[in-house]
Amino acid sequence: MTETLAFSSEAMKKYEWLLTRYPTRQAALLPTLRIAESEFGELGVPQMRYVADLMEIPPALVFGVVTFYTHYRRAGVGTYHLQVCSTLSCALRGAGDVVQRITERLGIGTGETSECGLFTLSKVECLGSCDTAPVIQCNDDYHEGLSLEDVDALIQQLRDEAGKGSA
Amino acid sequence: MSDTSNELISWNLNGEVVQNESGMTIMEAAKAHGIEIPCFCYHPGLSIAGNCRICMVESNRSPKPIISCSERIAEGLEIQTDSEKAVDARDSVMEFQLINHPLDCPVCDKAGECVLQDHSYEHGPDRSRFVEDKNIRHTKELGPTIDIWGNRCIVCTRCVRFCDEISGTSELCVVERGDRSVVDVFPGIPIDNAMAGNTVDICPVGALISTDFKYEARVWNMDRTTSVCGGCSRGCNVEVEALDGFVKRLMPRENLDVNDWWMCDHGRYGWRHLYADSRQVTAQTTEGSVLPAEASKALQQTLESSSSTGFLVDPFMTCEELHLVKQLADSMTGSRVAGWLPADGTEESFPGGFTISAAKYPNRKGVEEIFGADVFGSAASTLLNDIASGSVDTVVAFVGGHGFDGAGAEWNAALSSAKNRVVFTTQQGAWSEGAHLVLPATAPLEKEGVWINEDNRAQRVRSCRSLTDQNFPSELVILQEVQAHMELRSRSLSAAGVFRELSESSSAFEGHSHSSLGDHGTPLSQKPAAVGSEGGES
Repeated sequence: MTETLAFSSEAMKKYEWLLTRYPTRQAALLPTLRIAESEFGELGVPQMRYVADLMEIPPALVFGVVTFYTHYRRAGVGTYHLQVCSTLSCALRGAGDVVQRITERLGIGTGETSECGLFTLSKVECLGSCDTAPVIQCNDDYHEGLSLEDVDALIQQLRDEAGKGSA
Repeated sequence: MSDTSNELISWNLNGEVVQNESGMTIMEAAKAHGIEIPCFCYHPGLSIAGNCRICMVESNRSPKPIISCSERIAEGLEIQTDSEKAVDARDSVMEFQLINHPLDCPVCDKAGECVLQDHSYEHGPDRSRFVEDKNIRHTKELGPTIDIWGNRCIVCTRCVRFCDEISGTSELCVVERGDRSVVDVFPGIPIDNAMAGNTVDICPVGALISTDFKYEARVWNMDRTTSVCGGCSRGCNVEVEALDGFVKRLMPRENLDVNDWWMCDHGRYGWRHLYADSRQVTAQTTEGSVLPAEASKALQQTLESSSSTGFLVDPFMTCEELHLVKQLADSMTGSRVAGWLPADGTEESFPGGFTISAAKYPNRKGVEEIFGADVFGSAASTLLNDIASGSVDTVVAFVGGHGFDGAGAEWNAALSSAKNRVVFTTQQGAWSEGAHLVLPATAPLEKEGVWINEDNRAQRVRSCRSLTDQNFPSELVILQEVQAHMELRSRSLSAAGVFRELSESSSAFEGHSHSSLGDHGTPLSQKPAAVGSEGGES
């Protein structure tokens, strides 16, 4: 907690441009949180506080909004956030098995983060990709039409990417 | 809260054509005709959220039931509040509300005054069809005086709207969504404002719990007194609730002319002085404790042997007590009356329009009405000088209020130099120390009579002493006994009787009576319509 949080000048410019696009300051909260997310990596308590102070809105309101949406990156989430769609189409096409497989491979249940800090597993509602069910959203990327082997491969690929070797 | 104009609208309520002012919501208009539609999220003091859906009624203008808290009446609108369709809709809402509710009424502090409980009785099924696991939500501290039991929360957002709109402090929010959503605060920013206690009152379930009242009493066992808070000159209307002779909590009482539905936490939690160890509960002379009857005799003797007496009244006394003092003073040559005021506190104003007065006493206006506007000014400085110069034999001082916080070094010095000092006090303190005669005084909430608030509104205060075991005669009794000993009075009267004497002798109070003041008070300048002799005194 040594360094003070602040938007870079570029982010600040973007934020100020955003304000011109919305009728009230508060209305620009969602995209501002996106900026904060990409600036700070996650939306924890200090980051939410920074956004509230910047936008001059109650911190509690920011807290409520961040926790309402599943798509913001909250504090404590691993490097890779595996969001398994579990709404109807994906559920019918085996989302439950996908979750089960991830739990077996990584030893984490939904809402938990692996000890290495690499993976967080969540069940989410419809990702709008029913035609390619089942779907995992990993950070900003979609992985579609997954078989259980694809899930294993995805985990391996992410591990390699993180340079942490294989299990 | 709705913007009504005077135009009347004809609409149909349960088959009857009725009229209401345009702009009213269906719920408000139905209430005006004696039909209560259930609600959770609706509160007359807050904005309309329309999220709980329990107020659904059937309308001729919509294929589906509509929510009556936000829909407004219109010409030709036909509403059924208890048709099968309406009741079915509400029953279903109730079933959903109870899905995750723990139904822990036996251990819940809200039980007995819980809106969910009431509506469940009306609309709820007698068994649950829900066989899945209930959701668990947090139980934790939200602030120094408030805990949340998240499992009970039905997310009506009354408390959140209160903090946004009335206190303006915005500490509360709803976190998460769907069936996991629950009220919370931002980490590290607790709910801690001078009106926070109201959120517990308006919580329709037992989710927000006052830590001060938690596990203290079952609400149906408590005795209640309708009274007025003495914490400041606003005079918020309150209900004092006591169990087995001990006050347990204060609740605000709706009065749109004074405090709306609210009260501040200073007043709400400011009653423990009643049970302070330093409370003066016996009469004492320099020899030791005496019986009340002996004390009134002693006071009479002191007054009769005094050639010049100064009465020092305080702004906690009721108009009745002040009137009795005035009668005494008027009957004695060489006597004078002055008043002392406790130091001012800070005024606190809130965006919702609620103001906590800086004047931390309830009846300054009453004292000034009875003894003149200079009673705290020139009369006080004259009395100070007279005591200092030794031209006053006896000082009779009243120290009411929440405890002795002094009227300044000047009075302390003057009183300690008075030849004879009689002190009516709620708490032992600098003034009662070494006094020649000390009499116990009733504190705010223990008084019976009338106070006049800063807006010149006369309000009836009732004593919670009938509920408690603080048993000593009040000033009202003692002062009348002294008057009787001095042959000024043939019989003792109730507070209502003394007030009648006051209204007969003072033009300001003329026409008013305890019964005409009612439960919500009346501006002193607004004389009640003549009521003849029916009704009598309360």
